[in-house]
Amino acid sequence: MRSRSRLLVVAAFLATAGCAPNVHSSAIRGAGYVRVDDVVKHHPLYPQLSQLDDAIAAINLQSAAPHVPLGAAQIAAQTAELNRELRAAQIRANAILAQKQRDYEKRENEAVNAALAAAGIHGSGAAAAQQMSGASQQQMQQAAAAANADLMAYQQSVIAQNSAASSAIQKQLQDQASQKYRAKAEQLQQNETDLSLRLTQQDATQRLAIKMRLSNLALDPAARKQAEDQLNAINQKEATEVDTQRNADAATLRAYQAELSRQTGDAIRSQVGAISAQTRSKLEEHRDEVGSQLRSLGPPSMPANVPPNVQSQIAQIHRQYVGEFQSEAAKTVSEYNATKTDLDRQFAALHGADVGATGAAAKELDALQKRRGELYAQIVAQVKRDASRIAKDQGFDIVFINVLSAAGGEDLTNQIIKDVESQHE
Amino acid sequence: MKIRSAILFAGALLLAVWTGRGAIAADLTDVGYLDQAELANLPIFVNANRQLAAYKAQLDAQFASQVKHARSDADKQQIAMQFQQQLTDRQREVVGPLFQRAQLAIAAVSATRNLSVVVDKRIVIYGGQDITKDVETIFSSPQAIQPPAATPPPSEIGYVDQNALDGVPKVQTANAAMNQFETTQRQLFSARIAQARNQSDRQQLYQEYTKTVSDKQDQLLKPLVDQTRTATTDVARKKSLLLVIDKADIIYGGTDITSDVQNALAK
Repeated sequence: MRSRSRLLVVAAFLATAGCAPNVHSSAIRGAGYVRVDDVVKHHPLYPQLSQLDDAIAAINLQSAAPHVPLGAAQIAAQTAELNRELRAAQIRANAILAQKQRDYEKRENEAVNAALAAAGIHGSGAAAAQQMSGASQQQMQQAAAAANADLMAYQQSVIAQNSAASSAIQKQLQDQASQKYRAKAEQLQQNETDLSLRLTQQDATQRLAIKMRLSNLALDPAARKQAEDQLNAINQKEATEVDTQRNADAATLRAYQAELSRQTGDAIRSQVGAISAQTRSKLEEHRDEVGSQLRSLGPPSMPANVPPNVQSQIAQIHRQYVGEFQSEAAKTVSEYNATKTDLDRQFAALHGADVGATGAAAKELDALQKRRGELYAQIVAQVKRDASRIAKDQGFDIVFINVLSAAGGEDLTNQIIKDVESQHE
Repeated sequence: MKIRSAILFAGALLLAVWTGRGAIAADLTDVGYLDQAELANLPIFVNANRQLAAYKAQLDAQFASQVKHARSDADKQQIAMQFQQQLTDRQREVVGPLFQRAQLAIAAVSATRNLSVVVDKRIVIYGGQDITKDVETIFSSPQAIQPPAATPPPSEIGYVDQNALDGVPKVQTANAAMNQFETTQRQLFSARIAQARNQSDRQQLYQEYTKTVSDKQDQLLKPLVDQTRTATTDVARKKSLLLVIDKADIIYGGTDITSDVQNALAK
């Protein structure tokens, strides 16, 4: 009995002097303060705030998109494969061209010999004509080889530049899709946050009333259970509404991702198709130019003892074989026609797209900062409301935030943290 | 036995109440606050700011034209300084008298209400005396405002100019080192992030970057922040101050302890 009395005494002392601060003591003087940043970290919406901060910091760090709707790796692999095929085709074409050159040289020599023999020209005249024809063929071969080398170099250059342009275009389109996806995801997340906050605020009074009833030690078990059930029902109702919204948003996001993926794929195919057509046209134009240069090489000049009609016949043979060779060569070159870009236009477009991308990032940054500011203001407003209520209940005269240092006054931070947390349990 | 317990219980209650109220002092009721945004919306301030904006636009055009002919960076800097000076002069000319009048109005209201300090509304979340309307009334009146006869009474709210504290050599050195570190890391991580293969890699790199910078902040700046807080609290105790806030939040009165904290930090 004696020990029970002592316990009562200690409990009474603690209850009166220990738990609630004396706000009018010389140490406190009716002044309180709140470390808002610390309370904000305990607010249920802090994860969202933190997420926005991360997103802002990531954009500032020029971080790329969090999700690529169309497989970038897949497209990159396809591009690499295409480039390999083009290089192989180039080597094949070089070999075919060289073989064809040798075949046509042989056939032209045979045709010239036959023409000279038919004209009864033998010996020095025939040898000279053959020599001239041979020299001419050599010149032709050299010119063709040079032209082909030039064409190959040009093709290589086009292919290399084209690959770069295609990759850049693909990356650009994927980045745009990623930005759209991220914006949508953040918008939906913001909606969920808003809903969560709205529900909490909507039920705050009722929840507080129930909690106050529960804090009454004299509450009979049946009434306590009823109050607890009510509280659970409120929590359950809020959780269900938020979950429903979250599931709907997830479905929306999945559909949006699929749509973006399709749009991006179409855009990439369309752009790469345009690039291919323009590249093909560019290569054909260059090939025609080379062909024209080769055609301009005239027939060889004949020695004086070869009659004019035979000279004319030999020239005709030469033109025929050069024409046939060029036609064959053109077919071979056409095998190179791969799907690549119009360099000037694409690089100019790429530059413009880069500028656009930077602008898009800046816009996104602005939007994120705005959303962050609104969310922070919402959180701080609630902290202020809670702090005001507690300050009023406990009889404070004034409560500050943004205090650098305190040699007195009452730090209300932990109380507000508990309050904020309990309202969102 | 029951009576003895009851007496003991009542005694404990009295003791608790007596202990709690033992050191009763006057509450902090001489704190006012002002909504500066509301004051800035008075037509006279709005017009002044409009004038300044127009003048600045004019100066910007002149600056752009002159800076084209600058032959070196030093020339450009010289031109920029000249224009900045012109803008500052104009600002002083247009807004200066308004600020002075506002300060006089705040001082007059503070004297009438016996306030020792007036702070920005943003840092008061409960209580305090809102003097915004009173200040507006006096400010907008056609009469000249007389300066108060006495300075504000000593305040238990202290303030520190944090910009001045940034000028303490060891703080300056630490800040410079931190900026340098952050710039370097930013460049390094930007390049790595640009080459990342997927989002997961990027996310990991971003977290690595954040941690690297945060660790360095803990190493370079946190000790100084703690030291500054301790020094400020020590000075506040010595001067019997209750709370210390940033100078930027002080509008009138208060106790400036910047130099004391600077001296404590310099030791």
